Amino acid sequence: MEKRPATVGTKEGLGAGIIGLGLLLGFLPSAAQKIADLDFVQSEPFGILTGAVFVMAVLTALAGLAVILAKFEDAEE
Amino acid sequence: MSTASAKPVAKKKRSSRIPLTYVVALVPVAAALNIVGGQINTILKLPIFLDMIGTAVAAIVLGPWWGALVGAITNIVSSFISGPIGLPFAVVNVVGALVWGYGVRWGLGKKYWSYFLLNIIVAFLCSVTAVPIYVFIFGGATGHFADMMTAAFLAMGQNLIVSVFSSNILVSLADKIIAGFVALAIIEALPANLTANIQLPAAAGGLKKVLWIAGGVIVGAAITLIALAVAK
Repeated sequence: MEKRPATVGTKEGLGAGIIGLGLLLGFLPSAAQKIADLDFVQSEPFGILTGAVFVMAVLTALAGLAVILAKFEDAEE
Repeated sequence: MSTASAKPVAKKKRSSRIPLTYVVALVPVAAALNIVGGQINTILKLPIFLDMIGTAVAAIVLGPWWGALVGAITNIVSSFISGPIGLPFAVVNVVGALVWGYGVRWGLGKKYWSYFLLNIIVAFLCSVTAVPIYVFIFGGATGHFADMMTAAFLAMGQNLIVSVFSSNILVSLADKIIAGFVALAIIEALPANLTANIQLPAAAGGLKKVLWIAGGVIVGAAITLIALAVAK
């Protein structure tokens, strides 16, 4: 039987995007400290992290909404 | 009793699935394109960003969330190369990818004028996302060319948020129009089976296509010149 090449669609795209958001979230704590250490930045690491996490939370919620609304009927059969 | 005859006949539709090999090749290349563009911009101190061309290509060809992944990878890798300043702006790259990706899928890429409008929408939403990061994290300045414009607007008596938004929208407009139309040229060069399901104006073909792509880049360059004039 001929083996069909692997393909990706909407489902995998959404998964990849969520992985990207997760990667960003993972780097934020150390980045917040490094940004706060810069000479011209007067913000505290906690404030930077709080703001960044809030924005990431909005994007993660958007990703969840996209998962709910996306149509996956084009999946391989 | 056989159930086979009761089964409704599935309507054969054109698959929107993309071969995995294309994705595995395109995502790192798009991220690399962004990083190289960003580095060129930093070295030449241009009044634009050039770090979202790959994001636009991935978001339009593969999908908005693949574009978001490219945006996240770009800013994470860039933060290792040129410091942590770029990392909070990953959010802007992600927002740009979502707007480009969904915009084209919702039909804003069918005609040249609507594609041009889409780039303006991307620029506006990217600025709306970037301005709070500029103001609340960095106090309005990150060392980019746009800081000179911000200073000029502040000298005119505007408050910080308005000044940062005014300078950022000018830079962002130029950047996203150039990025959008350069991405369109790159998409044209990709294999046809990868772009078969995308509704893009370039399908019209011919001289018109070249003129629109060149025109888009020229409009972006013109806005860049206006930004330069404002900063002086």
